[in-house]
Amino acid sequence: MDNSSYISLTLASSLERSLDISANNLANVNTAGFKGERTLFESYLLQPTDIGKDDVFFSIDSGSYMDPTQGALIATGNPLDAAVLGEGWFAYQAEGGQTALGRNGQFVVDADGALRTAGGAQVLDAGGGPIAIPVEATAVSIGADGTISDQNGEAVAQLGVFAAPDIQSYARLTGGMFAPADGTAPPLLAVEAPRLLQGHLEQSNVEPVVEMTRMMGIQRAYERAMTLLEDENSLRRDTLQRLGPTS
Amino acid sequence: MRAMGIAATGMMAQQTNVDVIANNIANANTTGFKSMRAAFQDLVYQSQIREGALTNEDGTARPVGVDIGLGVQTAGVIRLNTQGGLTATENQLDVAIDGKGFFVVNMPDGTQSYTRDGNFQLSAEGTLVTKQGYEIDPGVTIPENTTSVAISEQGIVSAYVGNDPTPVELGQLSMATFVNEAGMKAEGDNLLYETTASGEAVAANPGDEGVGVLRQGYLEASNVNIIQQITDLITAQRAYEMNSKAIETADQMLSSANQIR
Repeated sequence: MDNSSYISLTLASSLERSLDISANNLANVNTAGFKGERTLFESYLLQPTDIGKDDVFFSIDSGSYMDPTQGALIATGNPLDAAVLGEGWFAYQAEGGQTALGRNGQFVVDADGALRTAGGAQVLDAGGGPIAIPVEATAVSIGADGTISDQNGEAVAQLGVFAAPDIQSYARLTGGMFAPADGTAPPLLAVEAPRLLQGHLEQSNVEPVVEMTRMMGIQRAYERAMTLLEDENSLRRDTLQRLGPTS
Repeated sequence: MRAMGIAATGMMAQQTNVDVIANNIANANTTGFKSMRAAFQDLVYQSQIREGALTNEDGTARPVGVDIGLGVQTAGVIRLNTQGGLTATENQLDVAIDGKGFFVVNMPDGTQSYTRDGNFQLSAEGTLVTKQGYEIDPGVTIPENTTSVAISEQGIVSAYVGNDPTPVELGQLSMATFVNEAGMKAEGDNLLYETTASGEAVAANPGDEGVGVLRQGYLEASNVNIIQQITDLITAQRAYEMNSKAIETADQMLSSANQIR
């Protein structure tokens, strides 16, 4: 087989991965704080060894990146729900003690008063330590700057909101969290003036219509790649048929 | 192709979402019912190409990798413990909690359960019981010939017996609070149980600091917001359809791959 079949193959296999990413985006269309993933394609140039031959370009998916746009906010009325407006990430202690960042503000308090995500990750304060709500605090309020105060207006903790300029280089963990790929803790750089909204949740930033259109595009491109393979195949068959009887 | 399996997790998650919403709507008129919300989280990611992988000997590295997520799962179903509206019933044995806390119910097997439903009844012996006939702690018994019962904000039950103008004090209703009310286990019949997640019950009296007061002649309505539930239901249905579309797309792609040869 020559290059033209392999070019179709590179396209088809990268499109399959694209579809996997789109399917994951759609599966998480109702996941609070979820950030969609996008694929990057690039052509890979094969330098011809013989002078006078044309260059050949293969298609590969060279990377995928996180779409950082703000998700829509919905009012839930739950005092333990918080959404970050604009820049900023919550910090959590993920499984295995790894510090990770994320935008999921759907919090619960466990039996010891520790503030956790619904998935069980401990939420960290401005200093990077775990947040505990005292047992006596019956009604907590979360201020725009992240101050958590009890029913008497006394501050009990400071919810950490951090900047993450290099978040694109982080690996994705489960639970909508991001952490450096090598397993180290991300630097916790405080956002100067964070804006939090209590009683609201940031929804997934996946735009269903965009994702559906992207999926249709993937399917059509895949069909084109398959047609190309098929054409190439029948071309070769015809060649063999015409040349065959001469022997 | 993983897309089918990924989209299937999405459909299952939306199914759970619809189940939770349907239960909320079904209990929109249940006394003391608390609305629930399914919380989702994305599953683990498979790195096809790692972030930071070296691209040449000089140490230049990939700024982004190829991460493919494997779908979604239900992280939990969170109970929204906000106050429900109070409805006047004028029934002297109806009591609503205005604020935090639960009534304590003595179960027949000796354990205790907790409820916000203050729609009390009298047993054959005159004891205050729930609609299932379980005794309300500490087991206040209304004497015979009682003309009316008064329950104070602090839960003190007193009865006017016969023609006596001075009430007889019968006892004080006990209450309990929890660190994590959302962690309590619901077992139906408007009863909730203590779990390791909720923490141990903290005994209290109505009107204590941080504990609600009682309102006689009122019932606490459910805190289900019907409009929100219906919009959530529409969103869940559409999300379900979109995930089935992803499966369809993957299927058609596989079929076009099958046709070459």
